[in-house]
Amino acid sequence: MKTDLSPRMKTALYGLMCVLLIPFVFPTWWMITSSVKPISDIFAFPPDLWPRRFDFSTYAQVFELQPFARQYWNSAYIAALVTAGTMVISSMAGYAFARIKFPFSNAIFMVVLLGLLIPSEVTIVPLFQIFLGWGMINTHWPLILVPIFGAPSVFATFVMRQFFIALPNELEEAARVDGLGRFKIFWTIALPLAKPALGAVAIFTFLHSWNLYLEPIVFLSSTQMFTLPQALTHFTDAYGGAMWNIQLAAATMTAVPVLLVFIVAQKQFVEGLAHTGLKG
Amino acid sequence: MAPVTLKSVTKSYGATSVLHGIDIDITDGEFVVLVGPSGCGKSTLLRMIAGLETITGGAIEIGGRVVNDLEPKDRDIAMVFQNYALYPHMTVATNMGFSLEHRGGSKAEIAERVQWAAGILGLTHLLDRYPRQLSGGQRQRVAMGRAIVRNPQVFLFDEPLSNLDAKLRVVMRGEIKGLHQRLGVTTVYVTHDQVEAMTMADRIVVMNGGRVEQVGAPLDLYDRPANLFVAGFIGSPSMNFIEGELTPAGFKAGNITLPLPPNAPTSGKATYGVRPEHLMLADDGVEAAVRLVEPMGSETQVALSLGEQSISAVFRERIKAQPGTTIRIRPDANAIHLFDATGTRID
Amino acid sequence: MSQPLQAPQKPPFWTIARRDAAAGYIFIAPQLIGIITFVLVPLGLVFWYSLHEWNVLAASFNFVGAANYQMLLADPNLPSVLLASAIFSAGLVILNMTLALLLAVLLDQKLKGIVVFRTLFFSPVVVSLVAWTIVWSFLLQNNGGINGLLSTLGIEGPNWLRTPTTAMISVVVVQVFKNVGLNMILFLAALQGVPKELYEAARVDGAGAFKQFRRITLPLISPTILLTSIITIVGSLQVFAQIAVLTQGGPGMTTTVLVYYLYQQAFQFHFFGYGSTLSILLFVIVAVLTFVQWQLRKRIVFYEN
Repeated sequence: MKTDLSPRMKTALYGLMCVLLIPFVFPTWWMITSSVKPISDIFAFPPDLWPRRFDFSTYAQVFELQPFARQYWNSAYIAALVTAGTMVISSMAGYAFARIKFPFSNAIFMVVLLGLLIPSEVTIVPLFQIFLGWGMINTHWPLILVPIFGAPSVFATFVMRQFFIALPNELEEAARVDGLGRFKIFWTIALPLAKPALGAVAIFTFLHSWNLYLEPIVFLSSTQMFTLPQALTHFTDAYGGAMWNIQLAAATMTAVPVLLVFIVAQKQFVEGLAHTGLKG
Repeated sequence: MAPVTLKSVTKSYGATSVLHGIDIDITDGEFVVLVGPSGCGKSTLLRMIAGLETITGGAIEIGGRVVNDLEPKDRDIAMVFQNYALYPHMTVATNMGFSLEHRGGSKAEIAERVQWAAGILGLTHLLDRYPRQLSGGQRQRVAMGRAIVRNPQVFLFDEPLSNLDAKLRVVMRGEIKGLHQRLGVTTVYVTHDQVEAMTMADRIVVMNGGRVEQVGAPLDLYDRPANLFVAGFIGSPSMNFIEGELTPAGFKAGNITLPLPPNAPTSGKATYGVRPEHLMLADDGVEAAVRLVEPMGSETQVALSLGEQSISAVFRERIKAQPGTTIRIRPDANAIHLFDATGTRID
Repeated sequence: MSQPLQAPQKPPFWTIARRDAAAGYIFIAPQLIGIITFVLVPLGLVFWYSLHEWNVLAASFNFVGAANYQMLLADPNLPSVLLASAIFSAGLVILNMTLALLLAVLLDQKLKGIVVFRTLFFSPVVVSLVAWTIVWSFLLQNNGGINGLLSTLGIEGPNWLRTPTTAMISVVVVQVFKNVGLNMILFLAALQGVPKELYEAARVDGAGAFKQFRRITLPLISPTILLTSIITIVGSLQVFAQIAVLTQGGPGMTTTVLVYYLYQQAFQFHFFGYGSTLSILLFVIVAVLTFVQWQLRKRIVFYEN
């Protein structure tokens, strides 16, 4: 495939890719620029690629209409906890399934894999009842506990297991000869070498938590407790009409920090993803 | 330093038995090589001595202590792995000192031991490098350094040279042997390469199909192989085997008669073994058709047809013979080997 | 050489293997307990609930056996919900996989600045899902950006989100652009994993670019295609936020997919019993689809390691 291309072919490919890029890039661009347009300019025909007038008051209004800083914190700390927790749980379980021989390990792994088949949408009703019984409705506990321990972490465990299976067995044997027990082998040998897989798991888990929508609207009821995706849909005027420019300002604040992190660390993102062991 | 004793050691995976009762006595400070074709169980046996595989039956003693249920770390052994198993995220110095760290050595002690080992192996200038920055030979040295730094009772080597190119292999062979002579630590070394076994071992254990075929000093195995398997395995190129019958006039195979040593039996079926280097050009010898001539410079290897049989010969002289012509050869009667129908040596 | 065997010592209870097994159980314990608590028990509960008439507002909870399942079969909305789910999933998977493969092949070319393109194509994946959907929701308004763009070309665009056909197309397309980057990267990794010698050998054998792609590339990356298609299908059945933000299931029920219907029945109308029955239906569909795809792998996957 990778033959050297003729200059004409190259131009054609660049052109094709630029056209294809439009629906990928334009919405984000348009979101950012429109968030600083006065509302009347948003509907301008044809749409402006660069604001003709700037109106930053939308950003202030975001914080006036909702406890947006608090909601931002909610999303951030939940995502951070879920990411850290998932990394611990899934690296341990993935390691054991890949590396340690214990009775019924395959059967247990199959049971755990069921989590992939049973998305949390299937179990949302009983989960609601369980957390109701624990007095945890309108708290963040369901959004923290279910992703770390439940179905969403299974994918992470699968990724970690695939990684650890590929890790040379000799390294661990050398460590055993060097006097390390299982826990130390895991901590000082396996885990430091698993950084690429852990990175991929961290990215996935963070994005999953950051994007969660069904669970927050089922479990949370007060605006103080809202997470960002939920808050974004609540910028409506008294008649239920969307307040577009304010919503876009809030959306920009939600999306841009993650986007910036991605652009800075895009290599780790993409390569981490490419090495999740999903290559088949 | 300690003796290692294997008593009726067996290993099976479920119903599959891979080692059928191995008895070996390794004396203190000895360099023993386990050699055999792949799948003969030699690596499994080494890993059982190391504690990386469980022992199904029998007992392994190190320094007079049964170690069957001890963790590798409690056996006071050090191992050099086939792929070196250097920790990729640690420097050479950390790799070498890692086992001491986990045995509660002080920082100064560890540094001193690492320096000492690095000095012996010529690694001093590489201590701050990472494994990926090293050449194959250097990695090999680090793997050895990691083993000697702890001053263990026993060194275990699992095909340590198989990833090196031919030239480096010869160099490292010498270094390992030199290290053993210097430190005098009991060593068990696994290889499938009989040249390595011959050149390095005090004693060789030839294994096949989960059994010990013969134990002995390298030249003993060469001179007096106990059975057909050892005879064919030790020596390169391999020994020629010719089926036939013992008679008072010599060894008859078809219409060819080959000479026997004076005290040989004179009746019965047997296999006649002669190494390629023990065939000589002789005008009074038997006639053999030349199939292929391979001049090596110092010697010449010739593939021959002797009646129905294909055999090979190595001559010190340069042979001018062309394929399709014939030459006359004669085995050195005092260097031939006879085996009975079960493959056991006849003396 | 063989000395008499020593009287065998009694091996300690905590043999190497046993200690290791104990470590194994400790390592998996948190995950296993979590799966039992948050997946298996809820799955049992959801089945139990599905056998009940349960209205939260009326505080009724009565065992009704299979009545909910009879109601499910008689539900006049069910055909439309299943159809919407099927159209959405099929459209999404086909579009997503095709576009992902096309982009991966483009990104696999030797071109300067290809990393910039890779980054941009991937960027929607990291944009917050609801933010992305809100932007599209605005662009797709009757007086929004897309119709604005079309009008400059002299085309009068439809009211995308309020017309049945275009509403479904919109929901699918918005989701495809959001997540196609994931599959694109997985395909790209697979493409780059195909040994170069194979292409060289194929060229020596006289195969052109198209034939190389069909006879070498596709078979060799087929394991990745299978795996990503399973993940994409299961993911497509979970789509919720996009529907909730873009169409609320409308117009009519044209974009009411199963998860959205489930959410409405359980959490808007408070029919927990019937909602649970719908959950069971969702579970069965996911399980059957996964099973079928897994069985198909022998036929689809030409090559496996």
